[in-house]
Amino acid sequence: MLASTLRLLGALICQLGSVGLAMAQASDGAAAANATALSEADFLTEMPVVLSVSRLPQRLDETPGAVTIIDRDMIRLSGARDVADLLRLVPGFQTSTAFETGAPLASYHGGFDAYSVRMQVLVDGRSVYSPYFFGGTGSGLETVALADIERIEVLRGSNSAAYGARAMLGVVNIITRHTVDTLGLQAGLSAGENGVRDAQARVGWGKEDASYRLTVDRRADDGLAGSNGHNLISRVNFRADLRVNARDEIQLRAGSLAIDAGKGLFGYADNAPRESSLGSGYLQLDWRRNLGQDQDIAFSASHGEETYRDNFPYVRIPGLSFDFGGRSSSDTVSLQHTLRYNSNVRFVWGGEFRREQVSSKPLYNTDAALVTDFTRLFGNAEWRLSQDLILNAGAMAEKSNMSGDSVAPRLMLNWHVVGGQTLRAGVSRAFRPPSTFETSGDIRYALNSVVLQAVSVSRGNIQSESILAREIGYLGEFPKLAASLDVRVFHEQIGGFVRRQQYALPAGTTLYPSNPWDFINDEDFAIQGVEYQLKWRPWQGAQLIFNQAYTDIGSAELGGSALAAPKLASSLTFFQKLPGGLDLSLMHQDSGTVTPQGGGIDSKQAMTRTDLRLGLPLRFGPKRGELALVVQNLGSPYQDYRKTFFFERRAFVSLQLEN
Amino acid sequence: MLVSLRLLLLTFWLGCLAAPTGQAATVVIVSSELSPAYAQAAESLERELERTGWSRHDMLQLTAAELAGAGVLTPKLFVALGAQAANALALAPLKAPVLCALLPRSSFERVLRSSGRKASSQFSALYLDQPLSRQLGLIQLALPEARRIGVLWGPDSQAQAPTLRTLAQARGLTLLEANVEQGELLFPGLKAALEGADVLLALADPQVFNSSSIQNILLTSFRAGVPLVAFSPAYVRAGALLALHVTPEQIGQQAATIVGGVLQGKALSVTPLYSQDFSVAVNEHVARSLGLRLDAVALRTLLRQREAAP
Repeated sequence: MLASTLRLLGALICQLGSVGLAMAQASDGAAAANATALSEADFLTEMPVVLSVSRLPQRLDETPGAVTIIDRDMIRLSGARDVADLLRLVPGFQTSTAFETGAPLASYHGGFDAYSVRMQVLVDGRSVYSPYFFGGTGSGLETVALADIERIEVLRGSNSAAYGARAMLGVVNIITRHTVDTLGLQAGLSAGENGVRDAQARVGWGKEDASYRLTVDRRADDGLAGSNGHNLISRVNFRADLRVNARDEIQLRAGSLAIDAGKGLFGYADNAPRESSLGSGYLQLDWRRNLGQDQDIAFSASHGEETYRDNFPYVRIPGLSFDFGGRSSSDTVSLQHTLRYNSNVRFVWGGEFRREQVSSKPLYNTDAALVTDFTRLFGNAEWRLSQDLILNAGAMAEKSNMSGDSVAPRLMLNWHVVGGQTLRAGVSRAFRPPSTFETSGDIRYALNSVVLQAVSVSRGNIQSESILAREIGYLGEFPKLAASLDVRVFHEQIGGFVRRQQYALPAGTTLYPSNPWDFINDEDFAIQGVEYQLKWRPWQGAQLIFNQAYTDIGSAELGGSALAAPKLASSLTFFQKLPGGLDLSLMHQDSGTVTPQGGGIDSKQAMTRTDLRLGLPLRFGPKRGELALVVQNLGSPYQDYRKTFFFERRAFVSLQLEN
Repeated sequence: MLVSLRLLLLTFWLGCLAAPTGQAATVVIVSSELSPAYAQAAESLERELERTGWSRHDMLQLTAAELAGAGVLTPKLFVALGAQAANALALAPLKAPVLCALLPRSSFERVLRSSGRKASSQFSALYLDQPLSRQLGLIQLALPEARRIGVLWGPDSQAQAPTLRTLAQARGLTLLEANVEQGELLFPGLKAALEGADVLLALADPQVFNSSSIQNILLTSFRAGVPLVAFSPAYVRAGALLALHVTPEQIGQQAATIVGGVLQGKALSVTPLYSQDFSVAVNEHVARSLGLRLDAVALRTLLRQREAAP
């Protein structure tokens, strides 16, 4: 599958190369026509509208929710090697570096499960939510190389009204760099303790109206101590930005990802140490037409697919093997219209159709593909009631052949009390439709056509789980102190929390008695608390970021779901520009007791971690680069994911060069 | 028969009345072309002259193309609107002085070079572009925290570089300059001018700023969080934060003041002039997304007050 994706990618790049050449030649002609002397025409001629309405993002203090932005500088200075690790810097997030469930995980307000299914992840507007297993976002976070990311916008809260069901507890929006900003060659290498061996290379070419980028990279290390978690991520990503004329712009993206990871536990027959591999590929086309200064229209189509290979023999019964492998795909088309009605009212509305297909004989006991269709209609209005009062109102109606209809509304009021001081209050409702596995999972182990035992047989009596999120926010800018403060006070009422439950199959159904798992809508509970981020530039070249999150999960499952997020988590980040351009980063994180439930109910853990980074800028004529030393976890090893897995100190050196 | 003769006479008489009184016109306005901007400038000029006691019969409007066939013209003053009209008048053997308006400084200087003329009381100009000091003044008013100004020089704008450097230094501003050579790609220069810049100042040069490059310039500068300050309201509609410009009406009005002076016996200024009046355009949506509150009218008023202050 991966090979075919790569072939497809190769063919696509060749095609685009020739299109780009033709367009570049056409634009040369245009440039020649323009090369006349200056006259009054330069002052009097009309220009095409470039920053059309949908290109102008909302300001942070006018967005309908709390947003944390991780920009390129922050990514570089953090020393992080993947997006999940970066999300440690966002208040309210829990992360893990383990590859036990495919890829490192990040979750907001609770690691309730092994795949982080209650969060939405978008890469350049495309949902990378995996329909495989229970759903999941770990592999989606690994879609692109860190070097290609312009910024990550993290919405702390729920926003199904804009991002569809699944945008229940957090939305991570990864935005890659424009190809015009990545022309030329760039490469990076990292190597150090714990088998850290990362490499990345990028080539960008083209002209202003047709530019391209191809990036290949790998990220590898020996994983957590005590685990079988050596891992290798390999990626190829391609992006083209084509300007067809003054009104139309096309973007094409394609890529593939392979995650090869060791997993399993030594001494456990039903979770034996083994090699697993996840391969995925995608194609995405975006077309935007500018309809003047006040409206534009955007069309998007994408295809994604993944293949999962994970099997091992069950040593206690010769001939029997465990298999979790299969395939899934998703196809999405969407159309969106953005309209500025007047200077105080702006609308975005549109529709989307998404089809997800999952096929896995071992997981569903059928050769057929299980198909879930989603049809969505959405609308959001930004209404400036007065100079200082902005109302954001929106809703998404979703129809699914598996989980029925739902409407997710959202209402948020932002009030600029005085210059630089904004209060925000609002309420939103979001849903998560049950995943294919939760509705149709069917795992039975058979030997010579005799079903020995059933492990998981879903009965399909399950509805979407819901959340009603109420929040009050505050954003303060203190220019004289060079400081800013972002506070979110939240009450998130979860309804029909999906949980697995065992039941007995009638005697005789399987050779041995079976108590398989089913998924049901279980308890209702609230997640409440407060989180804040203080940013301060106390003196020249210094930046201090202090985060704290108090989270109280009211689940009756005291050792489990109630501890899916720590009661208190804090982090302190300090960046200082030193003489000679040297960049010093110090990051300290302290997290209270938490049970990452993917790691098992006995995986209770608290952690402290301090990272250090020193970066030396390099310059050879026009070429630039950086040599950096990163030490992750200066202190003693901390428990990560499972009781027996530890994150030990990792020191590595990285070198970046760019022309 | 008699009726037809009467009709013929009447037609002749009416014809005489309606015939162009061009040859007798006091002011001849020659426009490069007939598009709205020229018409607005001419109309505003005529209206203002009318207001100060002149009759429309004293004025004649022509296009540069019509000039050759217009016969002998003996006005007290010619007004050229646009570079092409200025060039046509520069090459014509005229006795009356010529005021060239609605053209930028470098166009006027090109007309002087190609016609072998010098700026004089016989051949002077009212520029369309805005003085650099005023542009820096606007930046400092609108973006008081901006210290580093990115500038992209092209073949046409390059000549202003020494002046801008001096002015910027005097105001405590730093320039981040880059050159865009003929036939070269724009983005290496753009990248250099944007790196660390607080604002990008656009100075008219068709090699650098044109309808095909503006997309790239605006998108790249917006991604970098650097607002563009431009020289025409069209750029503001496209996505520039601000523009300092003079409207064709304002040019017409100020040209009328100069024309009125000449008609009363004053000489044309030997030194070409920049317009005294000007306008500020603000893209409020771009301003809002950058967290700025800017009021075009207030900025213009303040800038005028500062210029008027001793």
